[in-house]
Amino acid sequence: MSLFLTYVVSGIATGCTFALVATGFVVIYRVSRVVNFAQGVFAVIAGMVASSLLTRNLPHGPAEVLAVAVAALAGLAVGAIAIGRPGTPPLASLIITLGLGIGSYAVIILIWGDQPVSYSGLPGLARLEGISIQLQFLLVVAVTAITFALLSLFFDHTYPGKALTACSSNPYAARLVGIDVRRMGLVAFALGGALGGLAGVLITPLQPVSFDSDVGIAINGFAAAIFGGLLRPGTALVGALVLGVAEALVAGYYRASFESGVALVIMLGLMVWRASRGAIAEEPE
Amino acid sequence: MRALRGRPPTFWMGVVVALVSLVVPVALNDSQLTVYVFIGLSVIVVAGLSLLMGFAGQISLGQAAFYAIGAYTAALLTRALGVPPLVSLAAATAFTAGVAVVVGLPLLRLRGHYLAFATLAFQLIVLSVIGEARGLTGGDTGMPGIPTLSIGPLAIQGQYRAFVYAYVTWVLVVGVLLFNRNLVRSRPGRGLRALATSEAGALAAGVPVARYKLQVFALSAAYAGLAGGVYAFFVSYIAPGSFPVLLSIQFLIMATVGGLGSVWGSAVGAVVVYLLVQVLQSVGTGPGLPPQLPAILSYAVYGLVLVLVMTFLPQGLVPALQARVAARRQVSALEAQARGQLD
Repeated sequence: MSLFLTYVVSGIATGCTFALVATGFVVIYRVSRVVNFAQGVFAVIAGMVASSLLTRNLPHGPAEVLAVAVAALAGLAVGAIAIGRPGTPPLASLIITLGLGIGSYAVIILIWGDQPVSYSGLPGLARLEGISIQLQFLLVVAVTAITFALLSLFFDHTYPGKALTACSSNPYAARLVGIDVRRMGLVAFALGGALGGLAGVLITPLQPVSFDSDVGIAINGFAAAIFGGLLRPGTALVGALVLGVAEALVAGYYRASFESGVALVIMLGLMVWRASRGAIAEEPE
Repeated sequence: MRALRGRPPTFWMGVVVALVSLVVPVALNDSQLTVYVFIGLSVIVVAGLSLLMGFAGQISLGQAAFYAIGAYTAALLTRALGVPPLVSLAAATAFTAGVAVVVGLPLLRLRGHYLAFATLAFQLIVLSVIGEARGLTGGDTGMPGIPTLSIGPLAIQGQYRAFVYAYVTWVLVVGVLLFNRNLVRSRPGRGLRALATSEAGALAAGVPVARYKLQVFALSAAYAGLAGGVYAFFVSYIAPGSFPVLLSIQFLIMATVGGLGSVWGSAVGAVVVYLLVQVLQSVGTGPGLPPQLPAILSYAVYGLVLVLVMTFLPQGLVPALQARVAARRQVSALEAQARGQLD
């Protein structure tokens, strides 16, 4: 039983990082209708930046905040290139973000090399119900909870947040009331970058990241995001927790190498099931 | 002779390119011949992917999975069961197409980015299955000692091995491209073009959209399977690492550069991208240069090419050139007409 609880707790923690990546996908997709293939890259960049800053003796806290800011800038840059030219169809934008993701490998290897990096997170263990939990897990869960609370305040109670929601529900009407839809798209990309970066600084102490870790991170985030049809952050959070726990259980009880297979199979099954119900059949091209 | 008169200049260009590529292997050394074969195999895969993306409007980020399935099927049949290589090659092609049909039935209900992620997931699953099935495939360490291609007692080996493989590849490339050209001009090809413009419109006009999409998916997989089979016989050692996700993306880049749905564009795209990366790799591997430089250069090129082509030449190189030539012709025709009116 305690083994089971350990798996569940670590699953919830990984699920929280998936949720942050998934929300990044959702925020960007809602406003710009672009699925950002470079979403995993933000996490990798933030992890790398944080680790560099920490080795230069910057304390924990400022290092992570700076790293998230860099990721937000990276998000802004990706957005500017992907939706900068008006009239770029979403599928072209998808391929552009894919290109930016691959191109970023070059930059990452150039700066940080091709070896995985990591740094120590919050040290220590907490004891709960007879099992010991890494404090870093609790930190991940707490940060995710706070982020989701802030996001919900932002989207429901501030003008920029409401403008973003307006752009996602009807871009044309949003333009009529004077919202710059393209600028809002860029804001969404920056926010998506920051969320990806946040996931990155939280993941890196748990599992080292290297330049090509982004594919795995993006796949898990995307799988979680489609629980909510790429539109609802709340459902994406639920999906991410389910995914994280399922992966931890499979890795714990069955075989670690099947861990990533869980996300893939759940994702495929979910997409096909939704498509067969016509939920995502119509895709504006 | 009359049949040749009045052929468009593109026809003659095709003939010239075919003849040149037929002569070129004579002047190449073994390592250059290897590049020649790899380019040819890429052309075959890209020809299928370009049809799939350009005509069926479906994006695939998992084309290297079909390449891997073809390679492993051909290798297993010949190495473990002693099936004659040519039969294995045909079986690998057919089996890969069959897998595509089974996978495509559910997956092709998806579109756009959903299909992109689904095909990517498919490739990751295929790679992990190959890695796990150690008894059959040798797992992550790979499968060495795959026999070479042979017809009866005649095996491709010895001094002229790469040379003969170059011609085998040439024949396959020409066959695939001609098949594509005829397919595009046939009745199903017209249906596919309608499908590429507007799926709803094509459906309304009586094009069996779902069936055509599945067939193009299967055809593109069959090409990839065929190329994969030849690859296995040629290099005689395959491992899951030979078919990374990056390979799928490389195929995608080649198809995009050449122009989606352009038959000759797939050949141009594959050759241009492959040679570009080869040149950069050889530039990047000098003495005193950092060991990661070739990797950095190729990632940078892949990224730059994808972004630039999608931003400025979304229809691809060859269609853009064709459009420019056509526009210039139109202009000179108009000029001639105007001059005629002045006189």
